[in-house]
Amino acid sequence: MTPLTWSIPVLLAGAAGALLFKVRVLRIASSLLSQAAATGLVLTTALPIALGGAPFSAQWPWPAPIGAIALHVDALGAFFLSWSLPLTLLGSVYAVGYLKPYFDKGRNPGPHFALLNLVSLSFVLIYSVQNALVFLLGWETAAVSAWLLVIWDYKNQKIRFAGFNYLVSTHVGLLVLVAAFTLLHSRTDSMSFDAFARFLAVQSPTRAVVFLLLGVSFALKSAFFPFHTWLPRAHSAAPAHVSALMSGVIHKAGLFGFLRFALMLGRPEEWMGWLTLGFGALSAFTGVMATTSQRDLKRLLGYSSTENVGIAAMGFGLGLLGWSWGLPQLSALGFAGGLFHVLNHALFKCLLFYAAGAIYKATHTVDLERMGGLAKKLPKTALLFLVGALAISALPPFNGFASELLVYSGLLSGKAPEPQGNGALVAAAAALAFVGAVSALSMTRAFGLAFLGTPRDASVHVSSGSPGPMTWPMVAHALGVMAVGFAPNVALKLVTSAAALFPVDDSAPTALSSVVPLNQALFAGLALVALVSVVRARSARKSVTWGCGYTAGTSRMQYTGSSFSEQFTRTFAPLMPSLRRERLPHGPFPKEPGHLATHFIDGVERRVFEALGRGEEFVSRAAGNVPEQPRIAFAAGVAMLVLVGALLAGGFP
Amino acid sequence: MRLVAQLATLVVMPLVLVGVVTRVKSLWSGRRGAPVLQPVFDVVRLFRKKPVVSHVSTPMFQAGPAVFLVTALVTALLAPSLGAPPLFSFGYDFVWLAYAWGLGRVALMLSALDTGSAFEGMGAAREAVFSSMLEPVLFLVVGGLSLAAGVHSLSEAVALPVHGGLGLLAWAGALVALVVVLTVETGRMPVDDPTTHLELTMVHEVMVLDHAGPELGMVQLGAALKLFTTASFLAALLNPFAAEAGLKGPLVNVGLLLGVAVAIGTVESLMARLKLRAVPRYIGLGLGSALVVALLGAWTHRGGA
Repeated sequence: MTPLTWSIPVLLAGAAGALLFKVRVLRIASSLLSQAAATGLVLTTALPIALGGAPFSAQWPWPAPIGAIALHVDALGAFFLSWSLPLTLLGSVYAVGYLKPYFDKGRNPGPHFALLNLVSLSFVLIYSVQNALVFLLGWETAAVSAWLLVIWDYKNQKIRFAGFNYLVSTHVGLLVLVAAFTLLHSRTDSMSFDAFARFLAVQSPTRAVVFLLLGVSFALKSAFFPFHTWLPRAHSAAPAHVSALMSGVIHKAGLFGFLRFALMLGRPEEWMGWLTLGFGALSAFTGVMATTSQRDLKRLLGYSSTENVGIAAMGFGLGLLGWSWGLPQLSALGFAGGLFHVLNHALFKCLLFYAAGAIYKATHTVDLERMGGLAKKLPKTALLFLVGALAISALPPFNGFASELLVYSGLLSGKAPEPQGNGALVAAAAALAFVGAVSALSMTRAFGLAFLGTPRDASVHVSSGSPGPMTWPMVAHALGVMAVGFAPNVALKLVTSAAALFPVDDSAPTALSSVVPLNQALFAGLALVALVSVVRARSARKSVTWGCGYTAGTSRMQYTGSSFSEQFTRTFAPLMPSLRRERLPHGPFPKEPGHLATHFIDGVERRVFEALGRGEEFVSRAAGNVPEQPRIAFAAGVAMLVLVGALLAGGFP
Repeated sequence: MRLVAQLATLVVMPLVLVGVVTRVKSLWSGRRGAPVLQPVFDVVRLFRKKPVVSHVSTPMFQAGPAVFLVTALVTALLAPSLGAPPLFSFGYDFVWLAYAWGLGRVALMLSALDTGSAFEGMGAAREAVFSSMLEPVLFLVVGGLSLAAGVHSLSEAVALPVHGGLGLLAWAGALVALVVVLTVETGRMPVDDPTTHLELTMVHEVMVLDHAGPELGMVQLGAALKLFTTASFLAALLNPFAAEAGLKGPLVNVGLLLGVAVAIGTVESLMARLKLRAVPRYIGLGLGSALVVALLGAWTHRGGA
């Protein structure tokens, strides 16, 4: 047994302890300590590999049908392992504080913490095994644990619905993944990744089919547009730490899977790169558009996950293009940028979800329109949220900027062999710029509504700030965000070896080197400004907010979230489906009160249900059109046609 | 020598440009107007005042203008004030510039929202919308120019030598797009009227309704620096002698900087502000020209430079 394999029994034992111990403290301690031990064990193996050490391989004899489980941790798996487990541990620590009111009411913490252990366990499996069956086992463990974690508050019907929505979506993805693996198994007669790789490296039509199937499955896992519909519901229903872990850590497995199979595919065809880049850009665009109109803070953060995985996929698409064109510089910038963004997103997205959880715990609402002025009541949370919000908007000097700069450097390099290619890449850079600016709009809106101004709803009672177990994980994340921003070239070393599995050169560190001093100067400037502002705010003379001469202003007259995004949503109305119910007052002296309600809905979800409804109508109408007498013959004819078509498509045996 | 001259330009020009704009507007309206250095006196006066803040506000209110000033100052180092090269320049520096401006903008918007005033929220929302539409314009035009010239830094990209019909077209497109960038980023006509006194129609000014004393001074200084930065890119694009050695290039550049200020003043005297709903279309004009530049850049670029 090696340290890595030891982590599996340790995590299982911890889960068993969490379930079996009788005392609440012991249950929680069993989970946390086992996770800490497993994290240590995994890091002793993974960190050296991620930083450039030799990959780790082991064989684990196992009864049929698996034969032997081959473990192989290369730099890619090691990179994902080296932050997934520590961040899950932080999330579990946060859970202690976040769920304490439930535990105090007598709820058993055991199952929840045991599931968190299983999530960690699934990472060890997914990121290290070389066998499709065991990979699926890890995949399914993660999916089911995440589902059970989401429905923590299962007594609420809405939450159960969100949970089932997630469960169905993730299993549709699983089906597609199984289809891809079955297809590969039929061609290789093996379930080992080595055999898959040998088959995929050779050009064949199956290669393209496998690429598309895997792409859909991994896109569902990582909530790419248009496979994202489960995500806003699940994130809004789940406890904050579960949303954080799902968005920041668990669903990165989809991106890992994509890269794992991209490595197996070997040199890709050009369309694969364009497809990934375009798909990523579309996701980033639609995700960020949806963030501008959300009222629910956690839904907003959920959509922003769709945006950020899109940005990472843009990087990967660029990398694939560079690979197919034989340009190691583009591959370096694309893959390093994408991977770096995955890490950065994990850091700031968990921070934001934790801060949203802290808000929820203090106010019992996630509705932005009911918040306001929280910075005075929750100053620590405000500062931490601000750091996350600036980072997620990719503003320098924080970490999100560093990874996006790498992607930009690739997109704008003008390296594509054809003029059309260069034009498309510059257009993609412009799209990314739009996404960045809109994300800044959304985050300004979210922070401004929640923390600044005066409280909008007097019925929202703000209790005291968050307890230690909630604060410290947030502080740790914020420090991570700032450290990566302060020294992006050092943090990039975690990514370099993983990117070096692809044919790359050393452009990525070079592209970052010039901004390091600027970032550090900005950090110094920001720190100075923060200190001086706090001091000056104390001594400043106080007066009222300027109301243009109107002196009876109330907090209800503040700008609201809908009004903040009104101009944006009106400008982009065709892209932002909304439901509007209104009865406007009539005449100079309206007798009846009017009302207006706008509700921004998820376009894809809406269309899916519309299409289902129309489809049913269509089928019944079409069936009605067929005359009574030859209906059976007609049905037999259709069945025959399908059969012949299937035989033709599949090729005769 | 060049360094000293550039630093001197950086110190002197921003507020002088604002002064020139005001002076030109006075002349157009038939008045003699304040001295060109009046903005300097104004800023000094503001900095000597004591701050007044709203009861509602937090330290964010005072941090916002300071962050805005810091980002404006740092990005001004990238301005090719005497033609190329600027004090500081590196590959893809325009990405950094755009995002550092973004940081300053977000800081100012948060500072505005901190007062809990509906007017300032309105200004912040407008600023956020316009800037998000503007960002692609900046990236397309600079990306296209850098493709055409085979370079990667902003100051090199705008020093594009004009050659042939396609080059002229790209140059003209870049000019239009950069003018749009300048007017939106610095809140000038026809996007925003810096001298209007009706809160409902303002963009930049309404965000700082509550800022007084040093905070207002920082905002004005930052805005002047941003005007200087964008105007010097425009000047570098217009300067036919940017690449030449000797004094001619720098002197022409300074002259063009002042020319940009005169043009701004003239436009502001002769034109009314666009309706707010028409601003997206104006930015669309910039986007269209920037697209032309990007296409031409991709077309004329020889791969693998």
